[in-house]
Amino acid sequence: MNPLIFTTILMTVLLGTMIVMMSSHWLMIWIGFEMNLLAIIPILMKKYNPRTMEASTKYFLTQATASMLLMMAIIINLMHSGQWTITKVFNPTASIIMTSALAMKLGLTPFHFWVPEVTQGISLTSGLILLTWQKLAPMSILYQISPSINLNILLTMAVLSILVGGWGGLNQTQLRKIMAYSSIAHMGWMTAVLVYNPTLTMLNMLIYIMMTLTMFMLFIHSSSTTTLSLSHTWNKTPLITTLILITLLSMGGLPPLSGFMPKWMIIQELTKNSSIILPTLMAIMALLNLYFYMRLTYSTSLTMFPSTNNMKMKWQFETKRITLLPPLIVMSSLLLPLTPMLSILD
Amino acid sequence: MMTYIVFILSVIFVVSFVGFSSKPSPIYGGLVLIVSGGVGCGIIMNFGGSFLGLMVFLIYLGGMLVVFGYTTAMATEQYPEVWVSNTTVMGVFLLGLLMEVMLVLYVLKSEEVGVVFKFSGVGDWAIYDTGDSGVFSEEIMGVAALYSYGVWVVIVTGWSLLVGVLVILEVTRGD
Repeated sequence: MNPLIFTTILMTVLLGTMIVMMSSHWLMIWIGFEMNLLAIIPILMKKYNPRTMEASTKYFLTQATASMLLMMAIIINLMHSGQWTITKVFNPTASIIMTSALAMKLGLTPFHFWVPEVTQGISLTSGLILLTWQKLAPMSILYQISPSINLNILLTMAVLSILVGGWGGLNQTQLRKIMAYSSIAHMGWMTAVLVYNPTLTMLNMLIYIMMTLTMFMLFIHSSSTTTLSLSHTWNKTPLITTLILITLLSMGGLPPLSGFMPKWMIIQELTKNSSIILPTLMAIMALLNLYFYMRLTYSTSLTMFPSTNNMKMKWQFETKRITLLPPLIVMSSLLLPLTPMLSILD
Repeated sequence: MMTYIVFILSVIFVVSFVGFSSKPSPIYGGLVLIVSGGVGCGIIMNFGGSFLGLMVFLIYLGGMLVVFGYTTAMATEQYPEVWVSNTTVMGVFLLGLLMEVMLVLYVLKSEEVGVVFKFSGVGDWAIYDTGDSGVFSEEIMGVAALYSYGVWVVIVTGWSLLVGVLVILEVTRGD
């Protein structure tokens, strides 16, 4: 793609999300979502094969439906309250429709079916933008309407997302699909605590984005999109292999690493609000997530995965230079001792 | 009938939308767009917005739809699809008609025609008479306010349209 056009379109994706996050008029928020959707389609279609076109079409159809539902909820809100300002949505019908629309945009169950298919059909860099930047705009709107969200619907969607994200990822060997199911599960964790303490949602979003960014950068560095391809990194860059181990365990939420911080805070906040069964179920279902991360680390860093002898040397062009990889890795694994600093977020 | 004129016009509006979203060939989609544009203009005029109705006819139908018609005429196929030629298209059209008929019956039966077109706090466009510089209509003032208080909206929509063109060119360019 022409570099000037590519820069313009990428900046429009950023502008769309910025408009969503800083507007006070519901119509401008809808315009921001549409601008975001329109501009990310050519980024998803960077390579012109039928697979990327199919993935972009699926993404466009689901997100356009979600935008239509969002507009319907905005109009119903206007009809009953007579104003366009962003506050909590007072009408319960409008609130439910808006929650469903934003859940479709995020990829929560039962609207999660597009996430693995779209992520698998596009290149690693596009998948990175899809799974990190595109989650910011809907989550910011959920944060702003959080006092009025119907608790039953949101918690059902959250718990089912954690279940589907864990269970669905078990049979996958393609790395992009694994990251997609991981995204579904993390979105479930984020929305589960939204009604109780929205600050923790933002904390979880921040740490999730850092960890997913790190994982994708490590995959891009070793140019691997399957488990088999990833298992050959021990031969080329053993340091990357170790870092894959640490980052994957952090994504699974294991204690001395920073991925544990959001899960710990969320479980604490849920138990403070006298729900015991829910966080127990969520923690147990996070084990499913941990299982397939562990399988990746086992095949990559801990053992020499079986392959024929002529495949043991990993062949690729010159090493890609990934900006910001060391700081990202440090941040996605060593942030846990900073947990007392969360008290400044009030 | 005049008390229900907005209701009748909005029913025709929805039926023509069903007509083109059941996806016949684009030429026939443009045909029902003309009908829906005219009817939409009628709805706006009933609220007192003569300027915006004129804009619909001039700019939308007379500018954008004409260009659309020319480009579709260049790219059309030998036997374009009508609503009755393809079973799927006819089925979707009939389904949409059925939904609309059920909605109309529900609205008429529950005597709540007002719910279709009255939002709370919004009425007709008011007409002010200040005495010194003549009669102001609220809706023209709204259009003027778009370019003074609403500069950001103009910038955002203008940029969206520009990026829309760039995106479409990029997507259809291929390799």
